[in-house]
Amino acid sequence: MIKISNITKSYKDKKALDNFSLTIENGSIFGLLGVNGAGKTTLLSILNNLLNIDSGDISIFGLDIKTQKREINSISSIIPQHLAFYENLSVGENLDFFSKIQNAKKEDFEKALEINSLQGMLKQKASSLSGGQKRRLNIAIGLLNNPKVIYFDEPTVGIDPKSRNEILNSIKNYKSLGITVVYTSHYMNEIEKICDEVAIIDKGKLIEQNSLENLLSDKATTSLEQHFLKITGELDA
Amino acid sequence: MLSAMIKKEFLLVLRDKHALLALFVLPAIFILIMSVAMRDQFSTKAIEFSIFVKDKDQSEMSKDLLSRLSNNGNFVILSSQDKAQFIIKIPKEYSKSANIKINIAVKDSIKSDQIKIFKSILSKEVLSAKLNEMSKRMKQYSTKASDIIKSLDTSDEKLFSVKYNNSQNIPNSTQQSVPAWIVFGMFFIIIPMSTIYINERKQNTLARLNSMNVTVFSMTLSKSIPYMFINQIQVWIMLGVGIYLVPLFNTPALEINGSILAIFAISFALSLSAIGVSSLIAVSASSSEQATTIGGILNILLGAIGGVMVPKFIMPESMQNLANLSPMSWGLDGFLDIFLKSADLKMILNEVIALLIFGMFALILSMIILNFRIKKGL
Repeated sequence: MIKISNITKSYKDKKALDNFSLTIENGSIFGLLGVNGAGKTTLLSILNNLLNIDSGDISIFGLDIKTQKREINSISSIIPQHLAFYENLSVGENLDFFSKIQNAKKEDFEKALEINSLQGMLKQKASSLSGGQKRRLNIAIGLLNNPKVIYFDEPTVGIDPKSRNEILNSIKNYKSLGITVVYTSHYMNEIEKICDEVAIIDKGKLIEQNSLENLLSDKATTSLEQHFLKITGELDA
Repeated sequence: MLSAMIKKEFLLVLRDKHALLALFVLPAIFILIMSVAMRDQFSTKAIEFSIFVKDKDQSEMSKDLLSRLSNNGNFVILSSQDKAQFIIKIPKEYSKSANIKINIAVKDSIKSDQIKIFKSILSKEVLSAKLNEMSKRMKQYSTKASDIIKSLDTSDEKLFSVKYNNSQNIPNSTQQSVPAWIVFGMFFIIIPMSTIYINERKQNTLARLNSMNVTVFSMTLSKSIPYMFINQIQVWIMLGVGIYLVPLFNTPALEINGSILAIFAISFALSLSAIGVSSLIAVSASSSEQATTIGGILNILLGAIGGVMVPKFIMPESMQNLANLSPMSWGLDGFLDIFLKSADLKMILNEVIALLIFGMFALILSMIILNFRIKKGL
């Protein structure tokens, strides 16, 4: 379980997260929704130890984020929005590099390849891959340490619908592997398609946390997008 | 983990053709061009006068003078007067009368400062011939007086004691060009290092690595080791160019008289400085274009004031003092000491220590900045 309790993070005078609390159950696919600047990326950076919190507590699978950073990093993984690998290296060299720096097991290397259908591309230079293949490589790198939790930061930006669909289907399969997924996206239909539970963030505060089923049962709105706009006050505007 | 990171860095640099060009080919071309182009500027035997001698006297003394002129490296004696810059006429009875002067006809195009140099070199030879003649004549009257006259030596070595200050040993064009462009070439690592670094930062790869428990120290160390190795390869390739390639262009070959250990020490220290500066630029710049522009300008400035482009020994004193601010100058001084003064490690220790301190300071500062930028998500 990921338990976030009353955390605050400020950049100078601006509060990116304000007394923010959230609980994410093990094995769930959890969607984080929010407009640009809502605090999603700050939250993901904090959960990945890339930023420190000003106050509050976070526990990830029973590990304290303030004192057990290395342990947390070894059981979690982030899939950044940018293609965070080396274009001038081949697929195999990229995976080899990232697995060696994490002391990854060979079976996890093979599993990451298989899940992302990259077996036949090991010798191909990363720069020569299609947009969808690059995204899959980006995700495969995140699987190398066999994480208990993966954070996806808008992983489908700029790719064709077919590749997007393939990626979303593979993420759905992580649930069966017991991996907890935290997923942020601007695309409401993606959240609707894969998530069990959704949190809506606005101006650094948690506006709503509910199961997807409950959110979609809102009689006043016809879709998740409408519900999101209603709850963030954008619909009236 | 470190070995994987070092291997990755090597692969990235070796696949960057532009970087390889800048690191290896460019300095080698500079060494060749500058060594050959500056060959005559640095040569101590650059002054040569073509002369034609008309000996009307045909005495022992005039023949002795002619022999002295032909043995002097500054004169080329022509067999016809058409192309001669100077025509020297030794009149009849010259050896018999002290009042008879040698006549010199000078070509129109010869400048006055060349005439002064010509006259001073010629005077020395005429004086020597006269002393020799006097000694012979005195011999019939006094052997002792003859010996005294004969012992009068007009050679430079006997007349002057020239002592160069430590910092003013004058290199030949190869001795100047090879270390100068080695130093300059080593700092070219700014280009590949900053490009790779900034791409990693922009693509969030550094943040990803950081989330994989890779520390900023490991990142910096894994980048420093490959470039240190690349710098060493640069040094030995450029020395090879100086030793084997430059002589093919009728230019003096590089001679390494000093200690090999000293070369390793100065190149290691210089490499650390170059890596420090490169890291600092790479972590501070916001784009690779900005880094290569700043890096390029800084490289040229450090090279210009550091004695790479214009040798320090021909700079005015104020500029020489300014040059001492450039780490390129420290490295260059170390190399020149090794090549010109057969320096060992002890003799170049000051330069080595200064470069190591500078490099470490720049690296530590770059680690602080990188850590800050990763934490701020910049």
